Amino acid sequence: MSDPLTRLLAELPPAEPDPLRAERTRRGCRALLARQASRAPATRGLSADRAAMRVWELLIAGLGVAYLTEVIVQALQVYGLS
Amino acid sequence: MERDIELALVERLRRGDPNAFDDVYAAFNTRLFTFLVRLSRRRDVAEDLLEETWLRLVKHARRLGADTRLGPWLFTVARNLHVSYIRSRMLEDSTAASLIALWPFSLERSSPFEAAAASELERRIERALAAMPAASREVLLLVAVAGLDHSDAADICGITPEALRQRLHRARETLSKVLERDTEAGAPAPRGITSCPIR
Repeated sequence: MSDPLTRLLAELPPAEPDPLRAERTRRGCRALLARQASRAPATRGLSADRAAMRVWELLIAGLGVAYLTEVIVQALQVYGLS
Repeated sequence: MERDIELALVERLRRGDPNAFDDVYAAFNTRLFTFLVRLSRRRDVAEDLLEETWLRLVKHARRLGADTRLGPWLFTVARNLHVSYIRSRMLEDSTAASLIALWPFSLERSSPFEAAAASELERRIERALAAMPAASREVLLLVAVAGLDHSDAADICGITPEALRQRLHRARETLSKVLERDTEAGAPAPRGITSCPIR
């Protein structure tokens, strides 16, 4: 598209936003991005801790079930039901 | 912006590098503001939408695809924010319009560019652009002013490339007619405009 109308539109002067506000926006966004980046490793550490906790919970639950099963088996043997 | 530089910037943004943000900001801030201020016809609205566009980029930085094209991504966000703004204002504007209709004289405001335009011709083009329907104005701004290609502009507007081609054709026709009407009314003719074939 290189007709005169398109050329005229392409040559319209650009607009500049208020420099003070633009600078405030840029700084705010930079800070937010940096905060997000610094939070990211901490979040990863937190999820690793959670996974370890979950393994322990499952292990303890498994041992509890085994213990209760053994108690029931022993009780049935004592009463001569097994 | 070169594609390999853009891909590197996207990767750095995904990692949360603030210097990458500065580079993207420097490359697109003026272009985005120019688009938004001509689309909304108000500096204050354009500045709000521009700020929100950058905040969206930062909030989505970690979720950006590795092959994201920053220009189309930013213009899509800016354009969608403007659509949301227009929708939220629609009810308010219709109420205001009915009240303004009762006013004894016209309250038409000039666009911010009209007052600042350096030449009579620029002023006429700005006035004609500002008077166009938003859908026509946005395709002209994306393709002719921001310099995006047709397929990117179609993606940004959420329409097919064929629909964009038709919309662009109508928009240019409308703009030419407005400029011609101005010329007939006594303004000097922009060179080549009246005789240019509209595709």
